[in-house]
Formats: sequence, C-alpha cells, structure tokens
Amino acid sequence: MSVLCVDDVRKTFAGGEAPVEAVRGVSLGLEAGDFVALMGPSGCGKSTLLHLCGAMERPSSGRILVEGADVSTLDDDALTRLRRERIGFVFQFFNLLPTLTVLENAALPLSLAGHGLREAESRARALVARVGLEHRAGHYPQQLSGGEMQRASIARAVVHEPALLVADEPTGNLDSDNGARILELLAELNAGLGITIMLATHAIETATVAKRVVRMLDGRLADAT
Amino acid sequence: MIAGPLRAARSWAALFRRFIIRRLAGERLRTAVTVLGIALGIAVVVAIQLTNASSVRGFEAAVESIAGRTSLEIASPGPGFDELLLNDLGWLRAYGSVSPVIEGDALAVTPDGARESVRVLGVDVLEDRSIRDYDLLDFASGDRQPRPQEFLELLVDPRTVIITGKFARRHELAVGSDIDITTGDTVARYRIRALLEDQGPARALDGNFVLMDIAAAQLAFQRLGRLDRVDVRLADGVSVDGAETAIRERLPEGLLVRRPDRRSQQVEKMLAAFHFNLTALSYIALLVGLFLVYNTVSISVIARREEIGTLRALGASRRAVLALFLAEAATLALAGCALGIVLGRLLAEGTVRITSTTVDTLYVATAAQPVPLGLRHILLAFGIGMPLALLSAAVPALEASRVAPNAAMRGSDRLELRFRLRVRTLALPPALFALGWWLSTLAPVGGYPVGGYAAALAIVLGAAFLVPGVLFAVCRAGERILARVFGIEGRLATANLGAAIPRISISVAALAVSLSMMVAIAVMIGSFRETVIHWIDQTLQADLFVRPATRTNIATESTLSPEVIAAASALDGVVAVETYRSFDIPYGDGTIILGSSDFRQEVVRRKLAFKSPPDGAAAFASARDGRGAVVSESFSIKFGCGVGDPVVLPTPRGERQFRIDGVFFDYSSDRGAVIIDRAAFNELFGVSAPTNLLVYLDEGVDPDVARQQLIDATGSSHRIFVYTNARIRAEVLRIFDSTFAITTALEIIAIFVAILGVASTLLTLVIERRRELAVLRLVGADRRQVRKMVVIEATVLGGVSQAIGIGVGLLLSLVLIFVINVQSFGWTIQFRLPVAFLLQSTALILVATALAGIYPARRACAIDAPEQTVEE
Repeated sequence: MSVLCVDDVRKTFAGGEAPVEAVRGVSLGLEAGDFVALMGPSGCGKSTLLHLCGAMERPSSGRILVEGADVSTLDDDALTRLRRERIGFVFQFFNLLPTLTVLENAALPLSLAGHGLREAESRARALVARVGLEHRAGHYPQQLSGGEMQRASIARAVVHEPALLVADEPTGNLDSDNGARILELLAELNAGLGITIMLATHAIETATVAKRVVRMLDGRLADAT
Repeated sequence: MIAGPLRAARSWAALFRRFIIRRLAGERLRTAVTVLGIALGIAVVVAIQLTNASSVRGFEAAVESIAGRTSLEIASPGPGFDELLLNDLGWLRAYGSVSPVIEGDALAVTPDGARESVRVLGVDVLEDRSIRDYDLLDFASGDRQPRPQEFLELLVDPRTVIITGKFARRHELAVGSDIDITTGDTVARYRIRALLEDQGPARALDGNFVLMDIAAAQLAFQRLGRLDRVDVRLADGVSVDGAETAIRERLPEGLLVRRPDRRSQQVEKMLAAFHFNLTALSYIALLVGLFLVYNTVSISVIARREEIGTLRALGASRRAVLALFLAEAATLALAGCALGIVLGRLLAEGTVRITSTTVDTLYVATAAQPVPLGLRHILLAFGIGMPLALLSAAVPALEASRVAPNAAMRGSDRLELRFRLRVRTLALPPALFALGWWLSTLAPVGGYPVGGYAAALAIVLGAAFLVPGVLFAVCRAGERILARVFGIEGRLATANLGAAIPRISISVAALAVSLSMMVAIAVMIGSFRETVIHWIDQTLQADLFVRPATRTNIATESTLSPEVIAAASALDGVVAVETYRSFDIPYGDGTIILGSSDFRQEVVRRKLAFKSPPDGAAAFASARDGRGAVVSESFSIKFGCGVGDPVVLPTPRGERQFRIDGVFFDYSSDRGAVIIDRAAFNELFGVSAPTNLLVYLDEGVDPDVARQQLIDATGSSHRIFVYTNARIRAEVLRIFDSTFAITTALEIIAIFVAILGVASTLLTLVIERRRELAVLRLVGADRRQVRKMVVIEATVLGGVSQAIGIGVGLLLSLVLIFVINVQSFGWTIQFRLPVAFLLQSTALILVATALAGIYPARRACAIDAPEQTVEE
C-alpha cells in the first residue's frame, strides 16, 4: 500500500530579486514499512522536500499524496488534521516543549486530537517505556541528556501510530554513541511497528540504517539505491 | 585622541539607526502601542498639573487684575467692617493713596437673556483712579479720557454702572442700555453709563466685571455703613515690608493688613489637599505606562537574541548593546512624552471641566479654563518620562548585554528553566504589608498624609512581590482544573504561564496594581457615598432650603434680604424658619468657615450629627452661653483639638476665645468649620443678614407647592434658589458624584494602559515561544487550539491580576479611608464593601483581558512552523 506518493513536485520560494526553486520536479513513492534515507549536501533541497512530505507546506506544483490525501489541495485545518493523525516528526533540535514533562510531551498529539488526558497519558506511557525512558517520564526536557531528549521526541512522534514518520537530521545534534542508539530505535520501530520512515541526513553512516537511500542535488533526485 | 571616541560614537549611531530605528519603524503596531501607553501616562500627569494650576491661577488672575497697583489691603477677619473706622485711619495716607472698596459676586442678566456671573467693584472713583486704571472706550467721541468730575458724574446715580467693552460686545450692549444685576438675592436694573477698555480690572474674569460707585455697591450688597476693605498704594520709595509692619502695629483691634496675593495663597492652601490627591492619582497611569516600555524592550531583546549574538560575535561590546536598547527606550519615551504633552493639553479641557464643579462648589469660584502650556510642563513631562522610561528598560537592556555570542547563535540557551519559588519571594510581601501598617500609623507631615501614601506604596510593592507566588500557586493548582475544563489547551496554558512567571510577573503586577487602585478607590467612594447618604438623612431635616442665586459656593459672600425671609415666614403651614450665616475667616495659615445659627433652635431640631458628645443637644445647650462653639470633625482633626479645648477666633473686636462644646460630622467642606451662637456672632461681627434659610413645614404641606409659593411671593425682584428636601439630597449626591468623576476617569485610563500591557506581555510570550508554538502546530494543534490556549493564558493573567487587585485593593482602601482621607480632609468614612461592583469589575476584567489576548493569539497562529523548527 502506498503511504506517500510524490509526483513531479516543485517548490519555489519568492526570493529577494529572483524566486528560488528549492525542489525541481521530484517524483518519489514510499510503501508501507519503507525506511528511506534522503541524502545530500546542505542546500540541496532535502529539508524542503521533507517539509512537503510532512504536510508542513504545500508544493508550488505537482502532487503529494499521503495515504491518498492530496496535500496540495488541503486547507490549513485539513493539513493540521493530517499531521496530527497520520504523520510524526523528529527534529534535529528535539523541539520538546520545555514546560511539559516527558510523558506530557509524548501524550501531546493524542491530547490535541481530542483524546482524554488519562487515555493519552496511558498510551504515551507505553511508548515512553518502549524508548527506554520509563524512569524519566516525570522529568522536564532540560533535565535530560541530548539522547534522552531525542528518544522522548521519537515517543511523541509515534504515539498516535502515524503512517509516516518524518525525521530531519535526527542524529545531527548528538554524539556518535547516542546517534547510533537513536538509529537503532528508529530501525526497531520500523521493523516492529511497521512505521514508514523518511529520514533526511547528510551523514552516510546515518543512511546505512535505511532500507533505501535517495540522493538529492540542486533540488532534483540524483539517483536511488 | 578625540578622533577615536568620536568615530566610535558615529559607528554606534549608525548601528542604532539600522538596528533599532528600522526595527521600530517595521514593527509599527507594537511601537505605536508603547508610545501611546507612555503618552497617556504623561498626558494624565500634564493634564492634572494644568488643571490644578488653572483653579488657582483663575483666582489669582482675578485678584491681580482687580488689585491693580494695590500694595497692601486693610481688612477685617469677618465680612467687612464699620466704615466709621475709616475716620481713625487717616494716618494711612502718610504711606500713599488709600481707597475704600466693596467687592462682591453678582449675577448679570442681559437683554439677550444671557446669565453670567460678574465681579462687582464698588469704589470712590476719584480716590481709586490712583490705584486702578479705568480708561473708557469712546468717551466724548473718543478723543480724551474723562476728567475726575466727569467720571464722578457717570456714577452719581446709584442705579448706574460701568461695564467692560468686552462684556458689552459679547451681549450687544451699549452705553445707555439697561442690565439686570442680582446682588445677594435682590434684582435691580442698572443703566450702563460707560464702557471700560480691556485693561486694569476690566481684564478680570474675561471681562465679567462691573464698576459701581461705592455707595451704590453698599446698597446693592446690603452693606450700608460697611466696607469690605481699604486698598493702599504705597508712595514711591516706601518699602512694602516696612509699611506692612508699621501699619500692623498702628491698626485698631479687629483690623488686619495683608498683601493682595495673600488671598491667592490662601486659595492655594485651601485646594492643596485636593490637588495633592489628584497629583498622586495621576501618577498611576504613568507608572502603568512605563511597564509597557519594559515589555517592548523585552520583546526586542527576546526576539533578537540571535541578532544580538551576531553583533556580539562581530565585536559589539556589552556596553554598546546596553546602550542600543536603552536608546530604544529613550526613543520611545521621547515620542511618548511629546505626544503626551499634546494629549495632556487636550485632556486638560476635560479634566478642568470635570473638576470645576468640585472646585467651584466646595472651594472657590474660578474661571474654568486650563492655564496655557508652559515650558515648566514640557520640562516636567520629559523630566519624569525619560528617566523613568530608561529605568524601566534597564533590566531587559542588561539582559541583552549579557547575551553570549555563541550561545545565542546556536540557540541552545533557549530551554527555559522552570520557575522555582524562593523563600525571599514569599517573605517579602508580608514584610512590606507590615511596613505599610506601621507607616499608616504615622502622623501627617505638614498637613499632608505622607505616611499614608508611603503605606500605600509599601502595599503596592508588596502586591507586586506577591505576584510570582500567586502565579505559581495558580498554575500549580489550576493545572488539573483548567485541563478538565478546557482540555489540552488549558493544560498547555498553565504550563506556559508557569514557566514564564519571571517574564509575566511585571505585567501582572502592573495590572494588579491598577486594579487594586481601582478597587480601593471604588471601595472608598462607595463607602464615602453611603456615609454621606447616612449623614444627609440625619442632617437635612428641613423641608425647604433657600439661598441667594448669587451664592454659588460656600465662600461667596451673598446674603438673603429681609423680604425673602419675611416671605418664607409667611408661607402657609410654616412651622419654623431658621437662618444660617457663614463666611470665611483666616485661621492658622489658611481659612476656615465661621458659621452662626440660633442654638436655641438647634437644641430643638438637632440637625447636626455629632461625633462627640453623641448628644448634640447637650453641646448646643452648653454653647448657648456665647462662649462655646461646635466645630466640624475636619476642624477637630486638622487642628488637633476636641471637646473642652479652647479655640481662638479673630474677630473685628479682636481675638476671642471659645470653648469647644461639640464636634459634629460634616462632609460639605474639608476646610474645617466653627459654629457659634447667633447672639455672640452678631455682637462680634456686626452683621445679621443670613446666607441660608431653612424652612420647616407642617406635615401634610406639599413642599413643592410651598416652594412655588415662595418663588411667587418673592417675585421678579428677587432671585433665589429654593430646594425641596428631596431635591437638595439629589444635589448633594450630584456634587459628590461629580467630585469623584475625575478619579474614575483617571482610573479607567490606568486600566486601559494596563490591559495594553497584558496584550504586549502575551505578545512577548508568543515571540519568545515561537519555536514551541511551531512544534505544537506541527504535532497537530490547529489554529483554533493555539488561539484558545493564548486566550486562556490572557484570561488567567486577568483573573490573577483581579484576584490580587481585590485583596490588595481592600487593604489600600483601608489606608485611603482611615489614613489618607482623615489626614487630608478630616472625614470619618464608614467602611462598606461594594460587592456588586467587585463582581461586575471581575467579569469586565476577564472579558477585557481575554479580548487583549486575541491579537497575540492571532500572531501565535501565524507563526511559520517549518522556519522555526528546522535549522540547518
């Protein structure tokens, strides 16, 4: 079953003097259970493509279908709903809410989707345990190490059982040990829960954990392995 | 050597222009809100200064214009003195020119139907021309001024007057026209014999000046055989100080010598407490406005951490960064002060109008025009606004200067530490409240309630330090409750606020302080109103209250004629008619009201409510021997005296000592009043015409019918105000309400500015949390949820501010009622809790702060999620 279908997508940003075309006619498909690493140097457009696939932005032209829903035709509320229900995010800088505990952070997508606090926290607790942070559930982000913060953000990204997990340089702000553990966790979630993962990175060792590597250069796909 | 610093200054100025000014210009709305906040604060201060000055200046200008070249005045402590005394004052001429004077307020009704208050001066023009200038318009075809004999002939008929050209032009009057002038309660028609040019006394009161012969004025004001004063113009080379001392030594008992400006000084002193309280109140809005400066500079610093980091990395010193943000505050304050001065002048038109009823009714009639804006007011605005704005910006500017270059650029210093409550934070408020308690027990300093205001300040500071603790408790306790009521948005709102306590405390404190002032003033006014209603129930017992139409305030020397008293006595169903006379006399270094009534009747009617002894009849009975007096509570408190103490009054027969037999409650004047029995009064002051008349009717007689009968009986030859009991009660409350209208107006401005502060704080929080808000949006929060969260935050801030405002406001109201009011005005007020007002204001504040949250909420929704969450 196709989770993500990217069809001749372009994204142009209005620049200072001339518009900047960050993504230039990319086509790509991800099936359920895929784990794709998007690689390329800085400025190649991989983050923009990731944002488009994560329904953070609409393409300038072309189509992006997430489980059949066309991102380019959805309004802001519908995009929000899509993200809330079908997509999970992991960021380089973790982006946990500092005012919420690990458990509350992990439960957030469920709470925002209207689940009761008790139910949301109960489901989140299971995920927090799965990422190895059971003993840290009541702690605030600033009390955690970088690796722990990223594990908490992964728990938050998958608590609502998304069809697609979008990870932008998830190890970019971690040392190699912690980075390796995060990649293991992602591989385990992909294998265990069948979550489709699209990961952007510029590090070759990060890409090795993926089932497929897609390279980008100057806004286009260079090749696919 | 000089080139280095000069170059550094130039490059800093360029940086300021590019880094700060461009940003201010770009963020127009936020800049405008801040400038408006400062401007409103400054405007209120300037408006109150102009208002206060106008009430004194109006009186002063009239005194100065009419005084002319008068160096000294000979007067009596009471309402004038016997003109025969003039025979014993022949020696005064050795010092210069001398002119006896009758002066009074009157009501002119012109043929065009206009009614205007006028000041009447009665003089012997031949003697007076050496003291005042009377140049006539168009006399003898305009080619010359009248010779003394010709001038005398103009006014030889007692029904002739000279008015000003300005007044004549305004009402299309001319030489030969007739004008009705009411003096006291008596209306008489006068013929205009000449018009004065706009100079000398004609400049007084915008031309509302009438010149009469002294004999005509004595007749008009029922002062036959009496003089109000004798004006003296000292001969060239005679020292005023020396002459004043020498004349004082030679004057017979009961007369005094003073400079004309002494009267203005007395008015200033009389209004001092009223003005002092208005000034204190006007600073609240400014205080609140300055919180906006803090907020705006905070926003700049927070929103631009990375940029500041870059500047620091590129070599900008800490000092240069500090100076940039202080200069931002200075720029905002400069614009705010300039706009505030203009707004203040406009606002003054309104504040003069609002306060003029109080000043005119309770103190002295003045021209209700704001004084022109002077350099003094401009200096005041900038002198207060600029340093305070810099002080307000100091904390965020220092924060900016401490931004580390690398940390800011990496963004790793963004994770906030959760707020922890310190013991010091908890211990400070009770300590400050205790200090307030102690300060409130101190005696006044120079008649001003300095301790009371210091106590209020300590309480306000205590309230400000209370804010973090209360916010902490509310966020902790409210976490579950708000989550249950509002869902995840409620939970997020309390979490956000809990983490931002240090950031929001100042804004909440500003709003809480404004609200506490509002509560305190509402409680004070409500309690005062209830007290006054209770007081008028006890004291206003007569069925009709009569006064001359020209007696527009307590201090006006207008009396009722025997015809009016006779007409009142002859009304159908009259049980009794009582007369009351009062006027101002000098006492201490100010003036008090001396009144007289028939104590035999007072024993029967018991009109006054007594503080001590509780039985007023006993006080009056005791004071009937002519050596006793009853005094008002404000007199007793101001001069620190009570029952059994002596009070020495200046009289035309020299100083007389009275024994205080009773202290009564009196809310009609804060100057202090002494009432003595009619017999002793007439003997000492030699006057008997009353200023007020009270008529008691049989039960069953309709007061409205009796009122109309009295007006009909006095006919068109008399002009009086007759109030029924119900009407005078309404009138008392009308004056009461108008007195506090200014208080309410100033409070509304302060609260408006404080709510701007809340909006501005929320905007700070939104900008500060833009990454978290972006994450929220990415993990699925829709716009409605983000909006709801920010509006809940705004409402919680409003609720916490109002809760603190009510608690602290009640404390402040105790200081206002039992310390500041007692020390300023000498009034006892019974404490009453206005429950309905507190509920209404709470609802209003919650709605207002929720509305204030809408704009920051919209900004929160507009945050670009990918841009904020992804950094490559």
